[in-house]
Amino acid sequence: MSRTRLVKTTQKSGFKYTLKKFARQKYLQMMVIPGIIWMLIFNFIPMGGIIIAFKKYKITRTIAEAPWVGLKYFQDFFQDSNFTSVMTNTLGISFLKLILGFPLPIIFALLINEIRNVKFKKFAQTISYLPHFLSWVVLGGILTTWLSKTGVINDFFVWLGIIKEPISFLGKPEYFWGLAFISDSWKELGWSAIIYLAAISGVDTQMYEAATVDGATKMQKIRYITLPSIAGTVAIMLILQVSSLLNSNFDQIMNLKNSINIARSQVIDTYVYQVGMTQGNYSYATAVGLFKSIVALILLVIANKTCKKLLGRSLYR
Amino acid sequence: MRKTRSSKIKRSTGTLIFDWANTIFMLIICFLCIYPIWYVVVNSFNDAHDAMMGGIYWWPRMFSLENYRTVFADNRVLQAFKVTIAKTVIGTSVNVFFTAMVAYPMSKNYLVGRKFYMAMGTITMFFSGGLIPTFILFKKLNLLNNFMVYVIPAAFNFFNLLIFINFFNEIPPALEESARIDGATDWKIFRSIILPLSKPVLATIALFAGVGQWNDWFGGVMYMTTRMDLEPIQTYLYRMVAQVGSNQVAGSISAGNISAQSTTSTAIKLATMVITTLPICLVYPFLQKYFVKGVMVGAVKE
Amino acid sequence: MRQRLSKVLVLLIVLVTVLSFMGCKRDDKEQKGKDNDKNVEQTGSDTGSEDENNVDDGEVVPGWQVNADDKVDLTWYLHFSWFTTPWGENLISQTITEETGVNIEFVVPAGNEAEKLNSLIASDSLPDLITLGWWEGQVGQMIEDDMVYALDELAKEYDPYWFQVADSGRVGWFTQEDGHIYGYPNSSFSPADYEKYDNIPSNQTFLVRKDMYEAIGSPDMTTPEGFKAAVRAAVEKFPEINGQPLIPIGAHEFGATGNTSFDQYLCNFLAIPYEKDGKFYDRFTDPELIRWLKTFRELGEEGYLEDDIFIDKRAQMEEKIAQGRYFCMLYQRTDFMDQQKMLYENDPDSIYIAIDGPKNSNGDPHTLPGTGINGWTLTFISKNCERPDRAIQLCSYLMSEHGQLMTWLGVEGETWDYVDGKPTMKQEVRDILKSDRAEYDRLYGSDSAYWMFQDNAMALQWTEPAGPPLQQMEEWTYKYVISTSQYDVTLPAGSDEAEIQSKVDNEWGRILPKLLLAKSEAEFDNVLNDFIKQREEWGFDKVLAAKTVLMNEAKAKLGLN
Repeated sequence: MSRTRLVKTTQKSGFKYTLKKFARQKYLQMMVIPGIIWMLIFNFIPMGGIIIAFKKYKITRTIAEAPWVGLKYFQDFFQDSNFTSVMTNTLGISFLKLILGFPLPIIFALLINEIRNVKFKKFAQTISYLPHFLSWVVLGGILTTWLSKTGVINDFFVWLGIIKEPISFLGKPEYFWGLAFISDSWKELGWSAIIYLAAISGVDTQMYEAATVDGATKMQKIRYITLPSIAGTVAIMLILQVSSLLNSNFDQIMNLKNSINIARSQVIDTYVYQVGMTQGNYSYATAVGLFKSIVALILLVIANKTCKKLLGRSLYR
Repeated sequence: MRKTRSSKIKRSTGTLIFDWANTIFMLIICFLCIYPIWYVVVNSFNDAHDAMMGGIYWWPRMFSLENYRTVFADNRVLQAFKVTIAKTVIGTSVNVFFTAMVAYPMSKNYLVGRKFYMAMGTITMFFSGGLIPTFILFKKLNLLNNFMVYVIPAAFNFFNLLIFINFFNEIPPALEESARIDGATDWKIFRSIILPLSKPVLATIALFAGVGQWNDWFGGVMYMTTRMDLEPIQTYLYRMVAQVGSNQVAGSISAGNISAQSTTSTAIKLATMVITTLPICLVYPFLQKYFVKGVMVGAVKE
Repeated sequence: MRQRLSKVLVLLIVLVTVLSFMGCKRDDKEQKGKDNDKNVEQTGSDTGSEDENNVDDGEVVPGWQVNADDKVDLTWYLHFSWFTTPWGENLISQTITEETGVNIEFVVPAGNEAEKLNSLIASDSLPDLITLGWWEGQVGQMIEDDMVYALDELAKEYDPYWFQVADSGRVGWFTQEDGHIYGYPNSSFSPADYEKYDNIPSNQTFLVRKDMYEAIGSPDMTTPEGFKAAVRAAVEKFPEINGQPLIPIGAHEFGATGNTSFDQYLCNFLAIPYEKDGKFYDRFTDPELIRWLKTFRELGEEGYLEDDIFIDKRAQMEEKIAQGRYFCMLYQRTDFMDQQKMLYENDPDSIYIAIDGPKNSNGDPHTLPGTGINGWTLTFISKNCERPDRAIQLCSYLMSEHGQLMTWLGVEGETWDYVDGKPTMKQEVRDILKSDRAEYDRLYGSDSAYWMFQDNAMALQWTEPAGPPLQQMEEWTYKYVISTSQYDVTLPAGSDEAEIQSKVDNEWGRILPKLLLAKSEAEFDNVLNDFIKQREEWGFDKVLAAKTVLMNEAKAKLGLN
């Protein structure tokens, strides 16, 4: 509330007032401006390169020399016979990760926080974040072996009696989305939980003590103390994940896709890599990248507005 | 910790069941997370030829240190480690303090131009010019074949800034107000009040930035065009694990006679991975103390 | 407090500036290098003109001999991410540096090679020497846009000796329309070499596991019927290998554009021609190939095409070869030498041997492409190179017989001796080479560890039989090898035809597994017909027409017709 009022007064008093205000907060501005300059240099200057999405760019010539081709590369992408399947796969995997995957690290962080034994708490935290450090190139190889008909996972499931016959998991297209979701959740569970753990550790323990005195149950404490305290972090993460719906975990998909499951495993990122980057077609790759960026920005604005309305939280406060 | 102990007395059966279930659940998660690592480790300690036969799950079949000896026999490994450590320490400190410094004023609603700055930052999260324009820029800035390419372009991160802002917003404004009344400048408030209160978030961002620095192989691959001695260890590892399959390209096109370039065996790759990953894994337990206890408490009370 | 902080900040800024200036300093050095270069150019051109007269007299002094005391550093980009042998640590590289005065720093990309090379080109920061495959699009781009030196001009100016060591056939083949040659090949065999030598190998083989094949009575596998019977018999007799199911048919990894085993190799085994009626032929829709693909489909329907071959990447395949899990496979023999050696050590009968594979309905002999005139890589000298004189001299050194002996066999007296007038590798050196290639490269680095100028044709005179587990596979290919240089054509990058070709390739890569996994022959035909229709829509005829033109140009250059 107070902010809107402030903005209004600024508008009323005009440029001079703003300048005065600016001068008054010179220390604050001196702290921000280096960051702005950094962004101008390292983000905005190279951003000029986006223009090649509308040009036929050749690496041996400068961007200025490249001839304009308008929206050709966007058309190429949208009219590609594989467009629908690639789009479906991208969204399918992303939605799985968003709807089922997003709450997991939060729940995990809450559960870890409930461990009483401090040593075990630290141990569990440390162990759970280790898979993050396995690179997909190596992990992809290991998973290919484990998920094969003769791999440990089949052995284990058959032993448990969940399945009767070994299944070639990577050889069944219908399993791919699930596999991509599960393997990614498993690998990043502990790592993604860190940010929530940090937020939880910022909560004043006296609030819990007071609640305990008032006879609050564990669930009540989580609901009325912990969750509101980490809502800001949750909002940021949620908004960012929504906006990245068209992104995929490139390394993961690259290392798990194969010629059988390709119908369900080819996503935008891998497809563009295959038909654009490996052929040196930077214009095409840039056009698709630009399309993705615009969609992401729109999604961000929508998610941000929605979050603000529903939770009173947004990316910027 | 004293509090945990005192509350023990009041534990109900419901809480007890929850605690047990939670512990068992955590043990399962721990197993799922540590087993692949264990698998990598035992295979790396097995004879490379024998490991190819597969089927090593719990313990090395033919114990051997040969894989590790092979990795350390390469002189480049030690040099690459030095580069990685240097870039992680320097790059991380610069990123954390620079980003925090920019984030603090941005957390103030009354900052002139805040909306504009925020919009700029948001754009940087989604739009990028791509590799070639960045490469050309780095060349013009003299960052190619320069250690600073690991530090300066990684000095700032808008996502980290958002996390900082979110945290700074949770700090009670009363603390700053009282300092301001005492005549402290924003600089001083940031330095002596905000930063000391922000240890959990500083630790988080340091962890993100540090792991990012440690794991980054791309900079070494792309931006070192003559100074191969400035390549970090992850570039070395990536070179090794990503090499599989490239031989075929030549073969499929012209049956090119590639003379006996065999690929590195999996066991040696795994050994390299263990060596390059272990140090950064060990950092987390040291940062953990900042996550476990609430640092804010004492300060807010005052 | 505040002052202290700002001091820290100022210090930081100063530090950063100083460090980035250090980056600039290198440039100063480079500037000096350029000045030196000018001096060299002057003296170089003087001697150059004198030497030019000497070319005919055959008294040319190799350029590298003159400069051994003047040490220079050259950077050398290799477009092959798997290359890991450093320079300056083993005997061969040290000796070469000593003899030529040139020290080399290799620049090798990791992962996606094109990304790095394209960035280097786009930002005009190519290293001194560049080696890449002749088929890469960047070859044409670097030449067209004047980023590399003409080798013949450099040679004329700085090292006339180059003309003595350069093979005139190869120079002729790679000379561009402007009359200059920009990149020099390695592993190049001219059609004339095919007349001269009868031991030129191919990499493409059809392999079976020896003990299994013999146990089922060494059947004929050249006809679809014989092939199917053999596969069935093998599975019946050996359902499992060490408790794991047998994989009856093995192949290379499926990629974005197909599977070399089931398209390229199979075409070659079936002796499908590259041209028909003077036109570049579309081999992938040849009835003979379709007939065999349908055979594989039938085997797949019966369960003999295991999922593994569609899923596995090379690392998994290598493991399975080492375990002897495949019965037969169409595979590049040079891709599993380590595994073959391991199998041999365990049990000499469990190795893979090459036998006659799928043949066309006439039973024509296989036509396996050996390395052609294009060879494998081309090496360029970049215009950024400040010492092109030394670069070209290094090239001549490596191309010469002396250099070839160095890279193949090493230093006389240390790694090899003359035995009966023939250079022969010492036994103890050979033992290391055979048992531990990595150790061998670390100590010596010959046997073409530095293959950038390897002249396989010249090296044939020094080669010795590869030894039991590898020799049979190699020798089996000798009688089937043909030269296909005139068909190794690449469409110019960025042209319409190249774009269509890449679309078609990607589509083929998508449908090939579908063809093999089709549930019925009708489904197979449907998928194939859709593909052919789709191709026509894209204008595949234009591609074939363009390739026909290129093929005819190549023929004219090679003096065929």
